[in-house]
Amino acid sequence: MIEALHFAFVQHALIAGVLVSLAAGIIGSLIVVNRMVFLAGGIAHASYGGIGMAVFFGLPIFLGASVFAMLAALLVATLTLHKRHHLDTFIGLIWAVGMAIGVVFTDLTPGYNVDLMSYLFGSILAVSTSDLYFMGALLALIVLVVVFWYRPILAVSYDNEYAKLRGIPVRFFYTLILVLSALTVVIAIKVVGLILVIAMLTIPVYIAEKLSSSLWQMMLYSGAFATLFTLIGLWFSYTYNLTSGASIILVSATGLGLFLIARRGR
Amino acid sequence: MAVIEINNLSFAYEKESVLENINLTVEPLDFLAIIGPNGGGKSTLLKLILGLLKPTKGTVRVFGEPPSKQLPHIGYVPQNTNVNTDFPIKVIEVVLIGHVGGKKPLFGYGKDEVSCAMGALKQVGMEAYANARIGDLSGGQRQRVMIARALCAHPKILILDEPTSSIDIQGQKEIYALLKTLNKTMTVIVVSHDISVILEYANKAAHVNKRLAFHDISDKRQTFHTHGNQDHFCEVELLQMLGAENCEACTNDQTNAVWKDKP
Repeated sequence: MIEALHFAFVQHALIAGVLVSLAAGIIGSLIVVNRMVFLAGGIAHASYGGIGMAVFFGLPIFLGASVFAMLAALLVATLTLHKRHHLDTFIGLIWAVGMAIGVVFTDLTPGYNVDLMSYLFGSILAVSTSDLYFMGALLALIVLVVVFWYRPILAVSYDNEYAKLRGIPVRFFYTLILVLSALTVVIAIKVVGLILVIAMLTIPVYIAEKLSSSLWQMMLYSGAFATLFTLIGLWFSYTYNLTSGASIILVSATGLGLFLIARRGR
Repeated sequence: MAVIEINNLSFAYEKESVLENINLTVEPLDFLAIIGPNGGGKSTLLKLILGLLKPTKGTVRVFGEPPSKQLPHIGYVPQNTNVNTDFPIKVIEVVLIGHVGGKKPLFGYGKDEVSCAMGALKQVGMEAYANARIGDLSGGQRQRVMIARALCAHPKILILDEPTSSIDIQGQKEIYALLKTLNKTMTVIVVSHDISVILEYANKAAHVNKRLAFHDISDKRQTFHTHGNQDHFCEVELLQMLGAENCEACTNDQTNAVWKDKP
């Protein structure tokens, strides 16, 4: 295992795993406390539309997926405000239509046999240096936003009606959380794939929530657990030649199981 | 100046009329009880006073201005403080959400803000729980914290929506005793179902069921003799107090209709 660290692709995989885990820990916490898990799922799957279009037009995949996911996030934010009663229907719609667009565009791309599986289940062993920069920049942005706006974000997440009464622009922060979720989902696609991203955004967060007495603590613990699960998952993936995303999720699920048993035992 | 002045206010959700032709004046240091059946429009009236909803017709003035201008002076304690109890947040942080005004530090909480929040917790007798997780408290304790959150802004008006639902009798008494103390320095408005309790503390009562019937009950002890127990009105007396008399919205026949939702 140690000699594997000399390979650039392994180093990239590890750095990407840590960056994405930390971002997922912070944003996953916000998604869970704001009860946006289903919304994030919709955005994650819709982003495949962006991947398909990027492939078709020959654009960078991250760019296509990011723009598409952000548009989906803005659409979801608008729908939450105006179509509250049918929100789940519309999220389901965005979920499916986004994927369908992605599939049709890759079909239309001549001579290109895109490896669909790698986007659905992760392809961490093909992380480029520019991917790492993108991930690092996004993590820095997330940390900056959360540190600078911690109080309004906490207020909006805990009790949005009261936050509104205190003059906090609730819609702005709600949309901001969704857009950051969309971007996190996009970088997480490289590591765990868009089908499995929801598990990465929720399993470490669930454990962290039980152990934390404040939101920032929950974010730190989530980030730590996500990193731990990702690194162990990558080790399994490398050693037994398994798909990275699936390994990480199964390690996370096992971790959750052990946590629940340990808690019950007390 | 009147604390709150509502003139000819009507409100409808889409086409369904909820409130009609409401007139209400709240004076400084009043303790107003808003009562009435479920779905009668009590919570809607509160939301109009807070400016969360806009009236279809008529006006709401708080210290002579639209509610949105006076929000820092209104302390609000919402209904259902038992939701979101899984949220990892400390009591002190909940109270700090209520803090308004002053310069906020770039990161974290300022010393003055924390001491202000601790003061608010002390007022409601919850300072020992400042670092407890909100979900670990009982319903009554959580309610006190929500009152502290409202007090943190140093409001001139304190508005509470069903503050004692889902709290045991002892907890209810403590909450009302606390409100009575707070009423010495601020106007208190309480929406409540516990009419027999609330009328011991309130000096004004408004019965809301689409329309509003207003009663000055500050001299209730002279006006109404009670059944033995001086501190408690029976439902029949309350009905007499609030239903039949000077109620322009209803004739005697409708008095019963107004109260039929009550168990």
